[in-house]
Amino acid sequence: MAAPLELSCWGGGWGLPSVHSESLVVMAYAKFSGAPLKVNVIDNTWRGSRGDVPILTTKDNIVSQPAKILNFLRKQKYNADYELSARQGADTLAYIALLEEKLLPAVLHTFWVENDNYFTVTKPWFASRIPFPLSLILPGRMSKGALNRILLTRGEPPLYHLREVEAQIYRDAKECLNLLSHRLGTSQFFFGDMPSTLDAYVFGFLAPLYKVRFPKVQLQEHLKQLSNLCRFCDDILNSYFRHSLGGISPAGQETVDANLQKLTQLVNKESNLIEKMDDNLRQSPQLPPRKLPTLKLTPAEEESNSLQRLSP
Amino acid sequence: MSLVAEAFVSQIAGKVPFIHVGNQVVSELGPIVQFVKAKGHSLSDGLDEVQKAEMKAYMELVNNMLLTAELYLQWCDEATVGEITHARYGSPYPWPLNHILAYQKQWEVRRKMKAIGWGKKTLDQVLEDVDQCCQALSQRLGTQPYFFNKQPTELDALVFGHLYTILTTQLTSDELSEKVKNYSNLLAFCRRIEQHYFEDRGKGSSSIRLS
Repeated sequence: MAAPLELSCWGGGWGLPSVHSESLVVMAYAKFSGAPLKVNVIDNTWRGSRGDVPILTTKDNIVSQPAKILNFLRKQKYNADYELSARQGADTLAYIALLEEKLLPAVLHTFWVENDNYFTVTKPWFASRIPFPLSLILPGRMSKGALNRILLTRGEPPLYHLREVEAQIYRDAKECLNLLSHRLGTSQFFFGDMPSTLDAYVFGFLAPLYKVRFPKVQLQEHLKQLSNLCRFCDDILNSYFRHSLGGISPAGQETVDANLQKLTQLVNKESNLIEKMDDNLRQSPQLPPRKLPTLKLTPAEEESNSLQRLSP
Repeated sequence: MSLVAEAFVSQIAGKVPFIHVGNQVVSELGPIVQFVKAKGHSLSDGLDEVQKAEMKAYMELVNNMLLTAELYLQWCDEATVGEITHARYGSPYPWPLNHILAYQKQWEVRRKMKAIGWGKKTLDQVLEDVDQCCQALSQRLGTQPYFFNKQPTELDALVFGHLYTILTTQLTSDELSEKVKNYSNLLAFCRRIEQHYFEDRGKGSSSIRLS
């Protein structure tokens, strides 16, 4: 129908098609609206600018930023919001604003500013997908950009201290997650049975927070307690992204881990049992090996011996 | 209280608006709402959880779009900055402080715009965003008197504050207020609140004409 649509975005891990929120939003929207996207994952051979990722390329256009890409897709008749009423469309805008104002600062902080997380998880992951020598510079720049954004939107001029702001942004993020959970309730998607733009945005923001394994996890723990939001992410992953995930699926990985755990427990139990048996054997009366009868036992001793043999 | 003293106090308090209660000074809408709620008055008690979520979401939309657009127009649009904003912002202070503070504020606002991705937006794009926001608000309001049932909530106060300012502040061009005027139910909303809550008290206060 239309010219082939190519999306360049950051790749996946931990069971996700992408670990970058904005890329994930676009990928989810494309799945929901049926847009045939060819996904090009950025690795260290990619020559383009990484600042604007995700980027949609068609024959005549290059579009960046999720909002613009989604608008473009809608103009190409890939519209996931077709069934929504005007009021629901308005609600979509409002909830997206809520996500960007209340949740995004804490997500940025968890990925890019919190030192443990950044140095052990985020930086190595991104650096491995950027060619040397940019891999030394770009992650640091992305981290500074995230910090900047948090401080300028939440901090107090002119000094902008992070510490004052940290507690507040996590409080806001937890409240935002609670609000989303209330709004979702028991429905499958935010507006009925069909996923829409809002579902794409919520999925894009929540899924990396849910799945990526971080050392410092306070926001992740809070999210995991909101079971309907976790179920929401898992449903979308299973329904829309299952076949495109290579290797072990997240469920598979978890069963492997669970099996490993069970096996370890069994082995431990076995070794405990063996130790006990060993102890028992040592403590139980030692029966003299059968020798050639040089020693003639009296009948009474023989009887007592056989009795001892029978006792546990 | 003279203008200078007021500006001085507002610098200490941090941000306008602020309320003075006994020894305490509470500034900004969010904390003021919390403070009043702690005293036992809350406008949104009658809402259920889903409605409260919606209310908070719409308040963020207003902050995200309208507030940012107002800041953009005041500080990033060269025409407005030159003619109106610089002079108004620096007016409480003597020379050269008025220029220095105005430039500093402008630099701060531009930094913030760049950080959230508005740095590259043109005026037309900003106006389009305002239009989108007003459309959303208009659709949400529909034919109801207030956003949630028949009682006003914090959202109504926030929306009134912003729309009223947009409609009544004289800028170099009328484009911003024209965008809002396109939506008749929003205009009616502002007029209704103004008449109901502000004109009752003393005819001496300036009756603002929402034309």
